[in-house]
Amino acid sequence: MKYLSVLFFCVVSVLQVPAQENFPVNGVALTYNEIHAFINAEIHVNAHTTIQRGILLVKNKEILNVGQAINIPENAIIHNLEGAHVYPSFIDPYSNYGLDNLENSTWNPRPQLESNTSGSYSWNQALKPEFSASEVFVTNSVAATAYREIGFGSVLSFRADGIIRGASALVSLGSGEPQEELIKANASAHYSFSKGSSSQNYPSSFMGSIALLRQSIYDAIWANHNKDYSNLSLVELHKNLKLKPIIELDNHYAIRNAAAIGKEFKMNFIVKGSGDEYLSLSEFKDSKTQFILPLNFPEAYDVSDPYDCLDLSLEKMKHWELAPANASLLASAGVTFAFTAYDLKNKGAFLKHVRKTVEHGLSEEIALNSLTTIPAKMLSIADQYGLLKKGMKANFLIFDKNLFDTESTLLENWVHGIGHTINPIKEHDYRGSYILKIDGTILPFEISGTLEKLKVQITTKDTLKVSFKLENKLINISYKDENEKLIRLSGQGLDPIEGEGQLANGDWVSFVLKKKSAFVEKSSKTKKSNLLIDVNKVQLLNEMGEQWSPNMAYGWKEKPQQKAVLFTNITVWTNEKEGVLQNSSLAIYDGKIIAVGNVSVNAIKNKYAFEIIDGEGKHLTSGIIDEHSHIALRSVNEGSQASSAEVQMADALRPNDINIYRQLAGGVTTSQLLHGSANPIGGQSALIKMRWGASAQEMLFEDAKPFIKFALGENVKQSNWGSYSRVRFPQTRMGVEQVYFDAFTRARAYQKEWNAWFRLSASQKNESKMPHKDLDLECILEILEDQREITCHSYRQSEINMLMQVADSMNFTLNTFTHILEGYKVAEKMKAHGAGASTFSDWWAYKYEVNDAIPHNGSLLNDMGIVTAFNSDDAEMARRLNQEAAKAVKYGNTSEEDAWKFVTLNPAKLLHVDAKVGSLLAGKDADIVLWSNHPMSIYSKAEQTYVDGRLYYSLELDVENRLRNDVERNRLIQKMLGAEDGGKSGRKITKDRSYHFHCND
Amino acid sequence: MHIDMKKINLLSFCFCFFMIALAQTPAQDQGKRIMLYGAKAHIGNGEIIENSLIVLENGKITSVEDASNVRIDISNAAYFDVIGKHVYPGFILPNTTLGLADIDAVRATRDFDEVGELNPHIRSIIAYNTDSPVLPTIRTNGILVGQITPKGGMISGTSSIVEFDAWNYEDALYKEDDGVHLNWPRKPRLYGDDKHMHDSKDHFSEDLKTLEKFFDNAKSYYLTQKPQLDITYQAMEGVFDGSKQLFIHVSSAKGIKQAVLFAEKKGINKIVLVGAEESWRIADFIAEHEISVVLNRVHRLPSHKNDAVDIAFKTPKILQDAGVLYCLDYEGDMERMGSRNLPFTAGTAVAYGLTKEEALMSITLNTAQILGIDNRLGSLEVGKDATLFVSDGDALDMMTNKISHAFIRGKHLDLSNHQTDLYEKYKKKYDAELESENSAE
Repeated sequence: MKYLSVLFFCVVSVLQVPAQENFPVNGVALTYNEIHAFINAEIHVNAHTTIQRGILLVKNKEILNVGQAINIPENAIIHNLEGAHVYPSFIDPYSNYGLDNLENSTWNPRPQLESNTSGSYSWNQALKPEFSASEVFVTNSVAATAYREIGFGSVLSFRADGIIRGASALVSLGSGEPQEELIKANASAHYSFSKGSSSQNYPSSFMGSIALLRQSIYDAIWANHNKDYSNLSLVELHKNLKLKPIIELDNHYAIRNAAAIGKEFKMNFIVKGSGDEYLSLSEFKDSKTQFILPLNFPEAYDVSDPYDCLDLSLEKMKHWELAPANASLLASAGVTFAFTAYDLKNKGAFLKHVRKTVEHGLSEEIALNSLTTIPAKMLSIADQYGLLKKGMKANFLIFDKNLFDTESTLLENWVHGIGHTINPIKEHDYRGSYILKIDGTILPFEISGTLEKLKVQITTKDTLKVSFKLENKLINISYKDENEKLIRLSGQGLDPIEGEGQLANGDWVSFVLKKKSAFVEKSSKTKKSNLLIDVNKVQLLNEMGEQWSPNMAYGWKEKPQQKAVLFTNITVWTNEKEGVLQNSSLAIYDGKIIAVGNVSVNAIKNKYAFEIIDGEGKHLTSGIIDEHSHIALRSVNEGSQASSAEVQMADALRPNDINIYRQLAGGVTTSQLLHGSANPIGGQSALIKMRWGASAQEMLFEDAKPFIKFALGENVKQSNWGSYSRVRFPQTRMGVEQVYFDAFTRARAYQKEWNAWFRLSASQKNESKMPHKDLDLECILEILEDQREITCHSYRQSEINMLMQVADSMNFTLNTFTHILEGYKVAEKMKAHGAGASTFSDWWAYKYEVNDAIPHNGSLLNDMGIVTAFNSDDAEMARRLNQEAAKAVKYGNTSEEDAWKFVTLNPAKLLHVDAKVGSLLAGKDADIVLWSNHPMSIYSKAEQTYVDGRLYYSLELDVENRLRNDVERNRLIQKMLGAEDGGKSGRKITKDRSYHFHCND
Repeated sequence: MHIDMKKINLLSFCFCFFMIALAQTPAQDQGKRIMLYGAKAHIGNGEIIENSLIVLENGKITSVEDASNVRIDISNAAYFDVIGKHVYPGFILPNTTLGLADIDAVRATRDFDEVGELNPHIRSIIAYNTDSPVLPTIRTNGILVGQITPKGGMISGTSSIVEFDAWNYEDALYKEDDGVHLNWPRKPRLYGDDKHMHDSKDHFSEDLKTLEKFFDNAKSYYLTQKPQLDITYQAMEGVFDGSKQLFIHVSSAKGIKQAVLFAEKKGINKIVLVGAEESWRIADFIAEHEISVVLNRVHRLPSHKNDAVDIAFKTPKILQDAGVLYCLDYEGDMERMGSRNLPFTAGTAVAYGLTKEEALMSITLNTAQILGIDNRLGSLEVGKDATLFVSDGDALDMMTNKISHAFIRGKHLDLSNHQTDLYEKYKKKYDAELESENSAE
């Protein structure tokens, strides 16, 4: 029936509305424009104003008038909406209505370095600013119907493909030609960090996508300044920059990335969110960023098997609980947003989900605004759409009840003055108990069910199912009698229903269906009780969970505060000239170490209210610093080009990585997060402190000197990438050298060009060609200008030599060789150059180039006077770096004090942060670890780990955290079992993606 | 106690000379009686002798005693003064691919994973490379015997136990074809969010059916008069007649239960769980079924974010308390070159609850018992093979694990390796340079 009504209205609309005036007419032109009068409804003009028993007059596409005391023209077609509610139609600011969907590219082992797009467009296939939705948009009656059924009258349509996606079209959801439905071409410009259907290699990482977007905007500005119109993508992108920008994000952490780009280019992004924005709320609530929120809440998982359930993370469970409250949490922080049905697989669930946000605390007023006036304002059509006012477009909805009533049904959706029936208004309620008289027999006949779906049966000895169909005014009844013979009847009337029909033997008979009593609705309010739920717990189950930082296992209920602590009777490994102090003491206050040694401590011990820890038998050290790590990142390698100096690891931070917490448990307090080793010039490093529960921005080590990752050897020449990867330069160590010479030579030239430009006057600049801004070369130039240091992944002596020669010839010092497994072969050369070493304790034999790696490497280098560190490059080993340090004692006879510096002071020196961390010295950051035993002993445990004087890990806190995890898990499992779908929606439990990165990943 | 010191010095000098001349050459069979005097002996069964005398003859341990009470006759013996040092039974590494690959990234050196799903007839010993440069670096940390195990497929093949000092694989064999290795089918773990869900196809039930059928057929073959040799099923015979153990590699708690019930149903008596990361959840179940466990690497991340941070570290203690017979392996990333860290994983288990001697058992006697070689290996007891080593200090702790002597069946091993050779080479170079620098000053 639904399908029929769609067809029916399509036909009507063709008749009703003449095509555009300039279109030729095939036949006779219809010139009459009727007036519709909607009366007796509660009209919701907008979220704040309603008119009881109001009148709405519509002519053509527009609202003639709205109000209570309005004259209804005589010729108006009257729609009596007694008891119904009228609302402005919804506007979806995010859809791909009427456009083709492009599939995301799948992984292809064959490298593709260039774009496959033909024409004079961007070098990169993920950049499609030239795309304009209005050029290819077609009306699609099936999709339009789906949108109208959930209350939408107009949608913004864009193509979700690429990082720069081009311009959208704002369209109406009628059935006319595109020319009739287009409201506004180029309504907004679209961006994302996902390359979509592009099969080109670059970018292959999240931070690469960000870099490409930034570079492209600079390119567009540059081309425009130089009046270079040869690249159509750049021309169009420059036009796009004037449109309202909308960026699609896949994760709340990316809001920070969008904000940074917004700031850089003064672009006021509207963020299409992913539904977890509440998790970053404190970071953006004051930014005035507007959001488009999806309403695809996670379904309850199937938690019936206790073992399978172990794979379900607390993070997912907590998000399941809080996702429907996303909008409400944002609203209470004053954030403005519109809703979209974009991510809903089953669009039919949209209204249900809107109501769910209201159940979770969003006011009905804001909910309605988010569907109407807010998107209207976002898309700059608030003068025509979004509320019911004289002169505005006749886009409105008729509901049988208040829209937020769970039982309410959308009856009609009027788009530009044309009505679309969604659920036909039932003129007669057929339900009740009847007597069917047919062929001399009398049968009890029941009609029950809902108005939309009648349940009809004959209740003799057996219950016979009856088919009961209405077609216009004719009623078609058919059933199989007790002898399985098919009886078919056709009648008319309301009560009685009379008519004729045929028995199974072909005889024609007449029948009468007479109502005996009216239908009594059974109270269906009491839901089936779920046996698994303890009634006493219902209250508990209805409570919303707390939001933790991060919102997962081991997240904080309250973030740790800075403490004043005094450690006494303890062995203190100062890493300073005092060496290891026995029976000593140390005090921290306000995030800093304020006194080391009994004398200094005695001087201040009464100054503050210290918590005193008796450290008898225990050891105190500075926190472990991991020079080489890939934890807490969402991607690691932008390996598609020989140089990716433009990418920033800080963009890809993932502060909810459980490995941060795990490594705190191993005494790690600072970690350098490096780009991978897929290319000779990698990306810009991020140095973090292990501030578990902090935001990405808060994790970054303040004022640390910037670093970049370089790499040499098998990885950069793609030796182990399979037989297809023989295309990208370089494929040999010979080529690697040239990559560096080329990059540094070009960086110098780049600097010259820009210096010349900066010397020009404003008017000269206008007349001159602007040099090309290049994010890659700018970063490389920083190295030459001593504003950025290098840490270089390296194994073989030849390439270590080579890079030092390159550096010498370019007048800079190579700061750190990381891995550097053959460093011991060129120790004297490294010393002469001034390079430091951050190596593995004992790794070898995993690649051909590490055949000569030896566990004595660190000791030999240290003996030669080179600043030597041990790093992890591995999330597991990182939490045992204290023991890795001991291997220098074992294999190379390094002294214990020196070996300990391999994982504390020396990496601090390599990272240029030794003024703040790396030793126990008054004035340095209180990044300290309390060990149960000798810190390098296998039998030792980190009992407490402080960062900035905050206790982020202790054995006691850990026990509390575990208990809290378990209680919360249990609560949520019970709640899922009691969920609407009983937690048995068959939604398979998925294990969280593992982000266990090494260099080569 | 009277000892002729001259004789001793001369002897040990001869020995050193011999070692340098033939670096990493397999050691010669034991000639003279060997006497280790004065070390703290960690017997491997939980006992300790603070000041021990250990005598090795013809490749066997012939005496383990408290040295303070005995009269020592060093005539015609190689005498080792190991006062203040520690003697341990050789560590045993179960479930390893040592010798089956040398360099991870070089395919030509990888020999542990054969094509096919059901390969009991694939024998690891065939590919075992006694000359793998990795091997000498492992024994330098006290690991002297290993169970060389193939990987891949549902039944990867048959393992063998070898000594890490041999001219060829026949020479290396300690116990041939000791067990068949079954990888318990895993439910597909789905990763990521729903939008980007990977491989959701469930092979689990199909795999189970395949296994059911395979084991039924194998048993049926075992019970009939063989009309014609079937190589695959023939290789399974030992599993039914008890001459081979069935090692079931399985990690999850649910998988462990299923695997145990499967083996019971198929009438297989000798099974060993391998990996068994989640055994801590069901330690009592495992103990009740009297099944032993080769526990996966203690230095391992928890498998779930929710798990206790140190769950892998304390699993040995949980198994110990439940009364499960277990030992430690080092399977996983970099398992061959990394397996020299096996003793330190036992050390970690001490930090998380075991006693040192219990931890030692988990890499010596327990392992020998589980592999069925405890009549010859696993402890310093009279009658067992003279496979043991001397460490300067506690061998379970990195700082003190420094092996000075190691013996396999009384053969005195060369403890140098490719890495120590390179170290010596460059140390000499730099010592000379530093010396000339100093003299220049």
